[in-house]
Formats: sequence, structure tokens, C-alpha cells
Amino acid sequence: MSTKSRTRALFDDVSLTGDRLRTIGLYAALYGTAFLFMLPYWYMFATSFMTRDLVYAEVPHLIPWDLTFYWYEYLLNNSLIVQWTANTVILAAITTLVVILIDAMIAYSLTRLDWPGRRAIFAIIVASFMVPGIVNLVPVYIIVSELGLVNSIWGVVLPSAANPLGVFMLVQFFKDIPEELEEAARLDGFSRLRVFTHIVLPLMRSALAALGLFIFIWTWNAFVWPLLIFQDDSMYTLPIGLVTLQDNLGVTEPGVIMTSAVVASVPLLLVFLVMQKHLVRAVEMQGTTK
Amino acid sequence: MGQANRQRDANANGSTLVDLSKSSTREWIAGSAFALPYLLIAGTFLFGPLLLALYMSLYDWNALDPAQSQFLGLENYRILLSDPDFWNALWNTVYFVVLTVPPIVVGSLLLALGVNREVRGQWLLRTVFFSPYVLTVAVVGLLWTELFNASGLVSYYLGGGNWLTSHDLAMPAIAVATIWWQLAFNFIILLAARQNVSDRLYEAAKLDGASSWRMMRDITIPQMQNPLVFVVIVTFVNSFQVFGQPFIMTDGGPSFSTTTIVLYLYDTAFTGRQFGYAAAVGYVLFMILIAVSATSYYFLGGDD
Repeated sequence: MSTKSRTRALFDDVSLTGDRLRTIGLYAALYGTAFLFMLPYWYMFATSFMTRDLVYAEVPHLIPWDLTFYWYEYLLNNSLIVQWTANTVILAAITTLVVILIDAMIAYSLTRLDWPGRRAIFAIIVASFMVPGIVNLVPVYIIVSELGLVNSIWGVVLPSAANPLGVFMLVQFFKDIPEELEEAARLDGFSRLRVFTHIVLPLMRSALAALGLFIFIWTWNAFVWPLLIFQDDSMYTLPIGLVTLQDNLGVTEPGVIMTSAVVASVPLLLVFLVMQKHLVRAVEMQGTTK
Repeated sequence: MGQANRQRDANANGSTLVDLSKSSTREWIAGSAFALPYLLIAGTFLFGPLLLALYMSLYDWNALDPAQSQFLGLENYRILLSDPDFWNALWNTVYFVVLTVPPIVVGSLLLALGVNREVRGQWLLRTVFFSPYVLTVAVVGLLWTELFNASGLVSYYLGGGNWLTSHDLAMPAIAVATIWWQLAFNFIILLAARQNVSDRLYEAAKLDGASSWRMMRDITIPQMQNPLVFVVIVTFVNSFQVFGQPFIMTDGGPSFSTTTIVLYLYDTAFTGRQFGYAAAVGYVLFMILIAVSATSYYFLGGDD
């Protein structure tokens, strides 16, 4: 693979020059695309550190020659962005906990416990994948408002927790782990609840981590539902706050918008860099289940 | 029934597990109890609403006092089929689907196959292509709004003025933002699928002197058929339901050229307060999506 052997190959064998050209083409295509993919990020970060003069220059600037934290200070002092960040973290954490708990419970019940109707119920859950979330937009809103959950965090948590995806992922996962441990524990006189909390949950740690990370990111980014349910600006999550920031200012102020976008995306980009493996796994679990 | 269960347990676990089999009633209770929390939530916020939507679509729904709602039968659906705004939204959505599905599917496949090669910086490339996956549609929409602005990067280098206020360029601009954002999921699925194809198949083909094009056609694509069908259907379904990007970037404009079907549904329901009519729009979209998924499944053929 070294350049030396490649160069020699170039002279030795004419047919290999095609190979070499192809390799160069491959690298150019991959890294060229990667460069284009990175440009929007760069623009977002760079703009958030630019002075007003640079932001409004006639020629778009890509490098913040004049560094400033003006936009960050402006956001801190003129918007509820700290509150929105806290709301987002709380909403995502609660939803993740609820989803992991109820999904693990039903997945355990569907794969390990024998009760009438469980096959039919699993079939219905699988079929519900075909239901596009948007069909339910109106009726779920009606139900949430009948229950008095508009402008309440539960008005977002509960509809999100109805998503069948996690149930399906965990059922697939359960099928792959052997039952022997649980049976041994049952023989030792463990109750089903104790088997669940002491044997099953620890065994599923990695699957639950993958699902949990996925749900956390999903909820952090959720748009339509928080937009409908949260009606006070003190309740907004980051995605909703960002969009109202654009509306309230009338004219879009690129510095403010790009800075708020940085605030909303950096936490998740960092989580992503650290826990990419789990997230890849969560996505792969979805791909193999259908 | 209890007899049958006991029998099955005995067969499955060996006859020694008296302890486990003695209590099938308790097993029923435990089983239902563990399933109950999810079933309650899903019943209230997933399955129940699906029926409620069908019911609502037959009424002129009164949100303030549902008892006052007026039964219309299929009138909402009849009005809908002759509603030019609905057709406009449907065609806009189809246009958006055409602009996004092929690039997202083909692009993610090419990137997955490329990154799967022995390239330097594989981790870096994978990270870059996967990263937009963790962004919210709000960030994607606002970021690309800036890029497509009259003084933004895209307009400056490619021309076109402000793409988002141009009748012809607004939808392509939304499509570009969407492709950048949505490629990631498919890319990861297809990369995993490609890594699952056995190397031996390629070694055997190489011994037979197969060209790389033939290996692609006869090994890679057939071996990846199921994940490919999955990716095509998911991308179709997602693109048909596009909402956030036009909501943020154009609010359906200019002159309704980017009003997609979900944006239309949202406006009808939450601005126009025509909940029954909006429910009918939702059901028609549902039928379209089932038809599209079934058709792609039928033509592309999946094994399971």
C-alpha cells in the first residue's frame, strides 16, 4: 500500500495505472464531497464569531478576521436561550427515561412471558410503523388538549413515548439473548419483577444505551410537536426558540441566527463525536429490523 | 388453555421446571402488567387517534365543542378532491419527492460504497457524512436560509439572487438542504449493509476475472437488496411528509410554490381551525403513502 510500491507499479504494469487513477478519483470524490458537507458547519461557526461589519459585508466572508463574542452576549442578554436549553435537556431526559422503561417492559413481556393476545399485539405494533406520524397530528392534538396537556411537558412526552420504534428494536434484541440466565434465576425463586430488574435490564445495557441515545437526540431535535404544544416562550425548546428568534426580529439578523444555531447543535455534535458508536448501532438496529 | 401452556413449557424447558409452569394465570397477569404502560400510552396517543382521525374526517369538526360537530359523510373528501389548494400542495410535494429521493438514495449508496473501500481517514469521512443526522430541522432550515440569502454563500458563488424568494429556485433550495441533512441515515444503513456482504463472494468473482462493474451489478446490489428497498421506502415516506424545512425557510412561499401537503394540512388545522377537513387530508396522505410503499416494495422486491 505504500506510495513507493504504487509508484513502482505505475511503471511496471500499464494496467495498474488505471487502478491508480481510480484511487485518485475515489479520494477526490470522497474528500471533495466531505469538504462540501463541512462548508455549512464552517459558515455557521465562523459567522457566529464575526463582527457586524464582516457579517454584513458585500462579499461573504468565511474567516472571522475580527473575532468577537458580541452575538453570544447579545443572545444571553436578549433572549431566553438559557431557559430554552434547560427546557430541552429536561424534556429530552424525561422522554428518554420514560421510553426506555416502558419499551423494555413491553419487549420483555412480548418475548419472555406467555399471555394470550401477545402475538396479535406485536403484529399490531409492527403494522403501526406504516402509519405516518402526520396522520395523527390533528387527532393527537385534540386528545392532548382534551386532557389539558397543552403547554405541559407531558403533552410532548406522552405522544413521543407512543412511538413503536423502540419496542421493535428491543424485541429484535431480546430474540438474540439466551434465556438460560433468566430461567436459572426463576428457579432460584426470583419473581418476574426481580428477574426484570436484576437480570434483564443489566443484560440489555448496550441496547438500552443505543436506544436511549437515539431517543435523546430525537427529542432534543423534535420540531412539530413542541411547536404545537408549547405556547409560552418560557416553555420553548431550542428548536422552537430559534425559529421564533428569526420571526421576532423581523429582519433576519444572521449573526444572532447562526449563533443560536451553534448553541442548539454543539451539545449534540459533541455527544455525537463521543458516542458515535452507539448511535451507529441504533441506526443499524432500525435498518435490520425492517 | 392452562393445560396447553403447561404442556408447551414442559416441552420447551424440559420436564423439571415445575416451578415455572405451575402458575400460568400469574404469567398472564405479569405479562399484561409489563405490557400495560406502553399499551396505555400507545392506545391513547397512537391507535386511538388513528380511529379518531377517521371519525373526525367525516365531520365539520367543532374544536370548541365537539358535540356540536356536524356530520358530513364523505363531503370533506369530495371537497378535497376538487380543492385546487390541495392539488397544488400535492404536486409541490411530488416535485419535492422527485428532487430529493433519487439524490439521497443514490448519493448515500455511492458514499457508502466509497467509504467502505480501504481509504485513509475512513473514520473522518464516516463522521462527516453522518454528522448532519444529529441536527434539528430548525438549525438546518435557518442555516440554509442564510446560505441561500441574496448575500449568502450560494447566491454569491452560483448566482440566482435570493433562492428562497424565487418561484423557480425555492423548492430546489429546500431540496438541497434536505439532501445534505437526510443523506446520513441512509449512508449508515447502507455502509453496514455493504460491510455485511461476504468478502468471499468478491474473491471468487475476481478469480473468475469479473470486472468491478459486474461485481457491483451481480454481487453488491443483489446482496444489499433488502436494505436498499428499506432505504428507498423510508426516504419516500420522509420526503412525502416534509414540513419543517418549508415551514422555516419559505413558509410555503413565494405564492404557495413550496406549500407541501403537510404544510397545507398544518395551516388548515391550526390556522384555519378546519380540523375535520385537515383530518381528511391526513387520511388521503396516509393512503398515498401506503400505495407508494406497496408499489416500491412490489417493484423492487424485498425478501421479508
